[in-house]
Amino acid sequence: MPQFTIRKAGLADLPAIMQLEQASFPTDAWSEASMRDELVSPHTEYVLLVRLTPGSAGYEVFGYAGLSKLSGSEQSDVQTVAIADSVRGKGYGRRLMEHLIQLARRKHARQLFLEVRADNPVAHGLYVSLGFTEIDRRKGYYQPDGVDAIVMCLELPAEALPEPIVLGIESSCDETGVGIVRGGTLLANVISSSMDLHARFGGVVPEVAARAHLEALQPTLRQALAEAKITLDEVDAIAVANGPGLAGALMVGVGAAKALSVGLGKPIYAVNHLVGHVGADVLERGQVEVPTIALLVSGGHTSLLLVRDILDDVELLGETIDDAAGEAFDKVARVLGLKYPGGPEIDRAASEGDPNAIRFPRGLTLPKDMEKHRYDFSFSGLKTAVARWVEVKVDADEEFSIPDVAASFREAVVDVLVTKAVNACLDHKVPRLLLGGGVVANRRLREVAAERCAKHGIELRIPAFSLCTDNGAMIAALGAQLVMAGRAPSDLGFGADSTLPVTTVQTV
Amino acid sequence: MSYLLAIDTTAGTGVALLKDGMVVAEVQQDQGVKHAEQIGDSLAQVFATTGLRPQAIDLVAVGRGPALFTGLRVGIAAGIMFAEAAGAQLCGVVSHDAIALSLYTSDGNLPEHPLFIHTDARRGEVYWALYGGLDSNHLPIVLAGPSVGKYEDVVAALTAEHGELTDRTGGATAAWVARLAELQLAAGATNPDVSALYLRAPDATQPKPNQLFGKRVSG
Repeated sequence: MPQFTIRKAGLADLPAIMQLEQASFPTDAWSEASMRDELVSPHTEYVLLVRLTPGSAGYEVFGYAGLSKLSGSEQSDVQTVAIADSVRGKGYGRRLMEHLIQLARRKHARQLFLEVRADNPVAHGLYVSLGFTEIDRRKGYYQPDGVDAIVMCLELPAEALPEPIVLGIESSCDETGVGIVRGGTLLANVISSSMDLHARFGGVVPEVAARAHLEALQPTLRQALAEAKITLDEVDAIAVANGPGLAGALMVGVGAAKALSVGLGKPIYAVNHLVGHVGADVLERGQVEVPTIALLVSGGHTSLLLVRDILDDVELLGETIDDAAGEAFDKVARVLGLKYPGGPEIDRAASEGDPNAIRFPRGLTLPKDMEKHRYDFSFSGLKTAVARWVEVKVDADEEFSIPDVAASFREAVVDVLVTKAVNACLDHKVPRLLLGGGVVANRRLREVAAERCAKHGIELRIPAFSLCTDNGAMIAALGAQLVMAGRAPSDLGFGADSTLPVTTVQTV
Repeated sequence: MSYLLAIDTTAGTGVALLKDGMVVAEVQQDQGVKHAEQIGDSLAQVFATTGLRPQAIDLVAVGRGPALFTGLRVGIAAGIMFAEAAGAQLCGVVSHDAIALSLYTSDGNLPEHPLFIHTDARRGEVYWALYGGLDSNHLPIVLAGPSVGKYEDVVAALTAEHGELTDRTGGATAAWVARLAELQLAAGATNPDVSALYLRAPDATQPKPNQLFGKRVSG
């Protein structure tokens, strides 16, 4: 089945939109110049109905719709809606309209207006079924056909819960997180980490992590409630990360969250852990500025996302094809006889080393790799290269500088991460980069990202570390965004999905 | 009136509601490993069928296993959080004790030998416990266990010590976890400990300091 989805339109979509515009409105199509103005105006937002091309970033446009909303005004307008002939009568017009209504709500509009041709009963019927009522008629509005316009309006009453209190649970790896937010405001963020338990194994052991989650649940919840100074019955909704992550660990959070939901009689939202990392930015800026590239780097993930809309349009540009970056730090730390977790240890050792002492390989950066894996990462080869280099020195009984090896290794990791993230920004003309995940604590990563973003005029966002590492607040924040957008809660039957794709922001 | 909610995910996914000692609602699903999926609807269903508010629950009882870890944890996690939400007390029961109670109560033909109850522990082993009837509070008398071991070895050792055994296998259900907890409550013998009975250390080996090949994690 072809996958249709709705995504935000950009100037690059102008030709496709114009083609559809001319086909849909043969007698009164907008000019390309007018449409261009619409697309770039700060007061309008256009969305597309697209069919994704499997296995590539490409898509075909089958419809579009535009919303206009002046900031400070309570009124909003549907600028236009068009659906390609080939997909009419399949409910896509309704989907586009429902999307616009949600957009209007999110922009705090109280009324949404539109005009419809009096000779278009199908469209008129759709608007009536969505709750629009006729408020006026304009004689001969549509020229040259001389057709009347029916002016319709949908009241958007202030939400009963304009600033819902959402409690979020995170248990995808070795951190048990319970966070509480009110709308976009952070009330509590308590994290219980089982990192120390994994230290002697040199990496996260899934069963150890899952056991620790179960033990941490109750104290973490109670501490979060105390920090937020609320009681459980004040919570309006529950959010939980149901993937991606370690299955056994995720299931502890899922079971816990469902029981809270039923016990409190409050809705539950199953959200994507990785998109949660992007959602963390809401808590510092009030909203996620889009579009943005997000680079998420931790012991379990190394992913590059293109976020056009945090609730509807998140695309995975690339990810690691073997080890996660944090894992590489852990393994190289072990080779160098440093402790777990390896990130901070290597950071410390590297501060006295020369990053250019040894030229370690940069994974997937050769021209041939850049064709197929432009945004993918690989750290396994780098890790092996460091191990071999050390082995040769040890076998030859040669002295070597651990700080130099640490600094050179770190430089190789950071170089690849930042290069690919900045490439993604430049390729997609996205002027923002958001960092997330535990590896963001790495000083050199922050430095290099800041330098290169400044050079290319890219705005760099690095949330506070407690919001970068795995945490419940980011899950709560994403849940709150869903609640405020009027999204239906998840059905109670959802499961944990260790490989949940980023395109699934909410498991319905 | 007192209300007790029991949750057990040691075999299938089970939720049962007891009102003054009587099971008034029960959902017991036995589809293997779907615990995380089923727990929410199962909970919602017992309240929907009874019309009871969760806040009416006085005591939440959870089966602590021993059982396969992943499913077991879902039920315990749910029990802990439900008690928090409902403002209820929390207690844990050994799931094999609940199986013993069910057999002693329901099986009129049970021979009088010590009752050996075992459940699958994978890797060629069983989780087991041995019982010697019911005490004056109608609670199962534990002679040995719960523990984990190779079936043949355990049987040989127990037979040597206790003579002939009545050998039974089965699965705990939430309704029997509920009845057991109710009896414990009447006897003043509830156990607030809800920690999982794993009986095995996590599978993990400590790497040599200089060894490269750790276990891959994705999460």
